[in-house]
Amino acid sequence: MKPVRPDRGIRVDAGDRCLKGQFSAMASPCEVLVDSDDIAAAEHLTSLVANEAWRIEDKFSRYSPGNIIDRINTARGEGVPIDDETAQLIDFSVTLNELSDGKFDITSGVLRRVWRFDGSSNVPTRDAVIEAMKQVGWHRVDWKSQILTMAPGMEIDLGGIGKEYAVDRCAGLLRNTTDAACLINFGGDLVATGKPTRRDAWKVGIEALNAQKHESDRLVNLVTGGLATSGDARRFLMHDGIRFSHILDPTTGWPVPDAPRSITVAADSCTQAGMLSTLGMLKGAQAEAFLDAQGVQFWSNRGNGATSCGQA
Amino acid sequence: MDLAVAAAAATDGLSMKNKDRNCIGSALAAATCTLLGTTALQPVQAQEDPGWDFNTSLLYYGEGDDRVQDLSLKTLSRRTFVDDRILSLGLTIDALTGATPNGALPQSFPQTFTKPSGKSTFTTPPGEFPIDDSFRDTRVAISADWEQPLGRLYAMNVGVSASAEFDYLHLGLNAKLSRDFNNRNTTLSGGFAFASDQLDPVGGIPDPLSQMRIVRDDDDDNGNSGRSSNDSKEILDLVLGVTQVMSRNFLMQFNYSYSDSSGYLNDPYKILTSVDPVTGEAVPVPQIPGTEGPSHLNYYEHRPDSRSKHSLYTQGKYYMDGKVLDASYRYMTDDWEIDSHTIDMRLRWPVGDGKYLEPHLRFYTQTAAEFYSISLVNDGQPLPEYASADYRLGDFDAITAGMKFGWKTGGGNDMSIRLEMYSQSGNVSSSQLIGSQADQDTYPDMDAIIFQYSYQFGK
Repeated sequence: MKPVRPDRGIRVDAGDRCLKGQFSAMASPCEVLVDSDDIAAAEHLTSLVANEAWRIEDKFSRYSPGNIIDRINTARGEGVPIDDETAQLIDFSVTLNELSDGKFDITSGVLRRVWRFDGSSNVPTRDAVIEAMKQVGWHRVDWKSQILTMAPGMEIDLGGIGKEYAVDRCAGLLRNTTDAACLINFGGDLVATGKPTRRDAWKVGIEALNAQKHESDRLVNLVTGGLATSGDARRFLMHDGIRFSHILDPTTGWPVPDAPRSITVAADSCTQAGMLSTLGMLKGAQAEAFLDAQGVQFWSNRGNGATSCGQA
Repeated sequence: MDLAVAAAAATDGLSMKNKDRNCIGSALAAATCTLLGTTALQPVQAQEDPGWDFNTSLLYYGEGDDRVQDLSLKTLSRRTFVDDRILSLGLTIDALTGATPNGALPQSFPQTFTKPSGKSTFTTPPGEFPIDDSFRDTRVAISADWEQPLGRLYAMNVGVSASAEFDYLHLGLNAKLSRDFNNRNTTLSGGFAFASDQLDPVGGIPDPLSQMRIVRDDDDDNGNSGRSSNDSKEILDLVLGVTQVMSRNFLMQFNYSYSDSSGYLNDPYKILTSVDPVTGEAVPVPQIPGTEGPSHLNYYEHRPDSRSKHSLYTQGKYYMDGKVLDASYRYMTDDWEIDSHTIDMRLRWPVGDGKYLEPHLRFYTQTAAEFYSISLVNDGQPLPEYASADYRLGDFDAITAGMKFGWKTGGGNDMSIRLEMYSQSGNVSSSQLIGSQADQDTYPDMDAIIFQYSYQFGK
């Protein structure tokens, strides 16, 4: 039997022309909007989604002692056999690493030991960054036959993929379980599974990060597909008047210069949207040009109300 | 075509190698399918919520020497519908006062003219260009435009417009079709505009090259004046254009346009001074006791009843580090023998915090119409078939220089102010000058100031 955690409950209320299930997972408020009046059905669907989200959180969180990530990160140079699901996520991250010329890297979490994005001015020394970089880089990892081996001190973190992956997995569960159109929203990363019956589309607000009044800057009509946002106005460092974004380039160990404050991308799945917004952030000043070239719809925010968007 | 999108399309098409490096979409989709254990993903259907956009501006245009002043209030409302269909509605209201010089030459003595209404006169002091400054008018213009894609590569645009002022009614319609080629790097477009304008001048339509009337009380346009009350003209414009993405940062446009006007093309208020062939001074007319009327001999102008223009236009937009240079050149030639060249340059220069400065420079030069003449010679010979002293048909140069400053409001809307100076100066060929005209001003140079405040906001 699973231990009962007080923070793991679900709640279903009436939403705007839908039923709204709520719970908390992956340090985010999570919602399941169901185009239905059947409260029992909505409770069932919400618990299905919540259990899958908690399962993924427990399995891949780097804060859960004893899980696969913890075992990999504490193996001290020993090879760790990897289960199929984890291996698929690692394989996916390897593809992203190749597609981004090394800028997307699940070993980059080590840099957090020297970079603390708390709005302060604690910029690390050049030497500290060089030292940390010795333990960063997917090319240093030995990954074959579903066994992962890396040097002591190195770490992997699937946090850059986990939430989007969870959203898409849960969307798959809902599609297999119900014909009702649903919207899953895990802290801003979301997927819609179809057109709701009582409106044209699900209405999703994209917040302007600089907005004093907490109003949605733009409203997006989503019928199917995923939306994901990268970036956070509250996570930055100020040093000598320079604002360092929290997007670290694992090929240099330094924050990506001129990255937008946030990027929201619409794509067929939440995973694709999330990866494109992350890769866009890693392109810094070229973020918008990169996303334009992908032919995807996106909204970038560079602060001061300067938003731009591209259309497919 | 949006430049950012166009520029991206350009990168897409540069080379296969480049495309492979930049476009990761298919590789990412394949990896995602593998990760999620599916063979196909439901395609995304997302669209920004359509809504109304409003662009409003207040413009002041003022010519020096108390000539034309215009206060113009303009609003353009745009509603974007699903599938990129766009409805635009425009409304402009102009309050106009003052007039342009009537074409008569300044003299070293006062001159009296009959007003267009034919009911009173005005007198111009020596040395000044005669202007009937009693002119006031309000112009209301409306327009509606519909834009929509037709299939994947075509787009069309249709519109209607109308404007009305006291003595003028304009009705117009236009349509444009464009098609994208070459990975949307090239857009070809073709369009036409047709306008039918009716003039209903104060005092009726004067006969071409007839003498200015004396004041008469019984005048009712259709009665004893013998004038018709209105006339009309039709204008057809055809445009062919190509927009080409040259590189990531560089967009060019080329247009050819043909314009054909026919019908009543005169300005019913414009006259020419009849001058002495030796002194070059205005010829006095004998005054009939008990009547009021012009002190000197003047003729109403006469222009051909058709005009065709050909124009070539090229524009380049160059993006560099957030700055945008927008430069264009236009060459126009017509069968009235007016040739003109226009060079226009703007540089949008971001100065941080969503603010920008935009300097603007424009140079214009044109040759005179073949029938442009500063005066008519009173030498007993028959008058020429066509003649006009309208300074806008003369040989002149003009410079516009200005600066725009734009910023974002707290609510994320756009505001801007623009201040521009316009200066126009004419060149009257010495072969046209007779006698004392060489010592007089023969071309009414003009300076104007333009101030505009704009506010753009969403719903």
